Amino acid sequence: MSFGQRVDLALADKVLKVAVERTAGTAEAKRALAVEAFPAFEDARTRAAAIKDHVIAHLGHYLEMFEANAIAAGAQVHWAQTADEAATIVVDLCRKAGAKSVARSKSMLGEEIGLPHALAEAGIERVETDLAEHIIQLAGERPSHIVWPAMHKTREQVSALFRAKHRDPHVEETIAAMAESARRHLRAEMLGADVGISGANFLIADTGSICTVTNEGNAELSVVPPRVHIVTAGIEKIVPSLPHAIHMLRMLARSATGAALTQYTTFYTGPKREGDRDGPEEMHIVLVDNGRSAMAADAALKEMLRCIRCGACMNHCVVFRQVGGHAYGGTYPGPMGAVLTPALDGLSANRDLAHACTMNGRCQEVCPVKIPLPTLLRGWREKSWREGLEPVSMRQGLGLWRQAVLRPRLYRMASGATVRAMRLLARQGWIARLPFAGAWTKYRDMPAPEGGTFMAQYAKGRRR
Amino acid sequence: MTARDAILGKLRAPVPLDLAAQAAALVAGSERPPETAGSPVERFAARLAGPSVSATLDRIDDASGLPDAVRRYLAHHALPATLYLPPDSRLTSLDWRGFRIDEAVAADQMTALAVAKAGVAESGSLVFETDASAPMLPNFLTLHHIVVLATADLVETIEDISVDLAEHRAHYWVTGVSGTTDIEGQYVRGAHGPRYLHVVMVG
Amino acid sequence: MSRPSVALFVTCLVDAMRPAIGFASLKVLEEAGFDVIVPPGQTCCGQPALNSGDHDGAVAIARATIACLEPYDRIVVPSGSCGGTIGVHYPELFADDPAWLARAEALAAKTHELLSFLDAQGWRPDGVALPTTATYHDSCSGLRELGIKRQPRALLSAVGELKQLPLKGAETCCGFGGTFCVKYPAISNAVVEEKAQAIEDSGAALLLAGDLGCLMNMAGKLHRRGSSVRAFHTVEILAGMGDGPAIGEAS
Repeated sequence: MSFGQRVDLALADKVLKVAVERTAGTAEAKRALAVEAFPAFEDARTRAAAIKDHVIAHLGHYLEMFEANAIAAGAQVHWAQTADEAATIVVDLCRKAGAKSVARSKSMLGEEIGLPHALAEAGIERVETDLAEHIIQLAGERPSHIVWPAMHKTREQVSALFRAKHRDPHVEETIAAMAESARRHLRAEMLGADVGISGANFLIADTGSICTVTNEGNAELSVVPPRVHIVTAGIEKIVPSLPHAIHMLRMLARSATGAALTQYTTFYTGPKREGDRDGPEEMHIVLVDNGRSAMAADAALKEMLRCIRCGACMNHCVVFRQVGGHAYGGTYPGPMGAVLTPALDGLSANRDLAHACTMNGRCQEVCPVKIPLPTLLRGWREKSWREGLEPVSMRQGLGLWRQAVLRPRLYRMASGATVRAMRLLARQGWIARLPFAGAWTKYRDMPAPEGGTFMAQYAKGRRR
Repeated sequence: MTARDAILGKLRAPVPLDLAAQAAALVAGSERPPETAGSPVERFAARLAGPSVSATLDRIDDASGLPDAVRRYLAHHALPATLYLPPDSRLTSLDWRGFRIDEAVAADQMTALAVAKAGVAESGSLVFETDASAPMLPNFLTLHHIVVLATADLVETIEDISVDLAEHRAHYWVTGVSGTTDIEGQYVRGAHGPRYLHVVMVG
Repeated sequence: MSRPSVALFVTCLVDAMRPAIGFASLKVLEEAGFDVIVPPGQTCCGQPALNSGDHDGAVAIARATIACLEPYDRIVVPSGSCGGTIGVHYPELFADDPAWLARAEALAAKTHELLSFLDAQGWRPDGVALPTTATYHDSCSGLRELGIKRQPRALLSAVGELKQLPLKGAETCCGFGGTFCVKYPAISNAVVEEKAQAIEDSGAALLLAGDLGCLMNMAGKLHRRGSSVRAFHTVEILAGMGDGPAIGEAS
């Protein structure tokens, strides 16, 4: 299905619009309050961007530092160049652990490397422990948002799903009762898992620690009880030390949900220590490149590696708010997804995404690490143009227009003729159907030109 | 060539001698939300009471009053006097007569007690670390999470937490109860773990 | 003694669709004490090429525009969007071309969006009154690239008897986005439907903004919905032309 077809489906789905508006609207309002209560937030954004740029410039160094410290703490570090390599490493580790079932705590990287699919192929039962991912798993769907993967679902849809799939479903038709149903259903499955898989919000180089943040506490319940903890993390998740992570954590929660911190922030350094009462015997950390090292070397994409996956850009995007996340077609939706998806899955199949943006700049304004998302999207448009991926009609149309723009006398003739032609189509100042611009007049009227271009009238001596 | 070498090979860059100093400079004077009015204890209490933490607070003069404080809490919630206690001598040395003490945490644990290493006034966070006397799982399984915090262990900001991550398997901050907004953005408490967080400050 | 001069870059959209905005600009700039020159070779700033990914086309048009406008002391543009193209994006286009970069930066430094320029001069409309209500939409480029937010409201508050009413979501994009509105018309429509609703909900009789593209989008939607809200560029009101035909009203 093309992007355009997915957009049509999304726009036709009035339930989707309601669902997206409820969650994204709430997130937008809460973020605004959090930022208002933090007057130095603008400077804090600048600092957060500088921290990430510093890391990206010295990524190799920090990765080696992280690896050495993680190994010293008893963890095993694995490296994967591609999504497939990463998924294979995880599946092999599960097999080696003799895992029948794994508890998985939501991570977008896991989605990126196709982990749900790879585990299914290997015949390993997967227990999604994040409530939204659990909903998605039961529905057999894909996440539509990086923070609220089930954002596209209404309470009625969730209710029907739980009634059909939970052993002991809710009776009362409330969201609290539905969450309770999931709690009952998931707890036993979580505690019986052989392997726990999580992502990492941050990798702390100077101690080899990984940091996870959740509001549900599902990450801890997923990775503490099993014998083996596997972490998958993008190589850009690294920060030099805990104080850097603290600064980023202050930005992350406020930008995502408007909270000062998420409810649970946990740093794990290696597996269970001698004497510890709980924790895994083995800890494996899979460091995933999947195009990131190439992005670090690409001036037009490097800044995207600053991203801390807060979701603010999509919550504030007029396009996302209308079409939701599935329309974007990739693992990552919204503005950050429109930048990342062509880098991960190729430009030719995803050139539409770069154009699905009004360039209004709101995403950049709310980004906690100041990623110039419109500029990066423009970069994809330029690459698409250079590589000849833009439609011929577009190229020819703009080419003709450019010829005129560069020749003022020709331009005056052409604009004068256009004005006269448009006025012929007008009735009482408005044009209801315009050839060559049907996309405009399908939905709105076009004001007719006043008559006579400014330049022509000015040349004739009109001044007022 | 291994994947490791291939990835690192693409990321080679000269490492300046003062890289550590550069990194440290990046977090010198990190911006923080402004401090609200009141003493650290008052600010911590206000944070606990706020909607995102939504914990309750009790204060006692010294640790010997803890069993009574717990009894009060359980009675208020009409809960049985059954409690998981971590193997922490500061707790086990107290007089728990009248309670049934669980030495292992149950999958459906109703109430668990834990000692926080620190509290943070800035965020209302409680800080924990795993070791032989402090398992982690009970704090995520229990429905009612009762946390003991010495007033002297309260710090102003997150940076003030005294921590070396390398020293413990897990270092974690609890800033509220297990909550979710995954269905229509509506906040529900007790998604997987604690639905109630109760802090008893000592001293 | 000769007065300081400004060059007016009228923009392609104003040139073709609504010259009144250009003449209103002439009038207020003269009132503000400037001799206004209209550089004869001007056409379009090239934003359609820039935003379509046609980098070479954008560079060619930028060079022509720089050559056309650089002889003047200061350049004023009645659009935040075109002002942003010249002021912010031209220098980006020549990042690897030092000679042209210097020229682009020099032009950027002396190019001003009209409303913020008038405000910075301390100018206020004198003796202009319009007994009605108006709401203001912040066009995105002006707001976020050039920091235009306070200035138009300050200027409008000097218009007698004009009551400004708040617009919910005033900083939310109207869905125009240049070529976006014809590339993804259905998304654009969904966005401008919400904008039109907010405008109607404001209770204002007039919709004002500082960019004709956004205004045409919103006015066209309002008209299709049968709304009675009328739309003007802010400078038309400041120039005392608010009693004339609004956008789309036959003159």
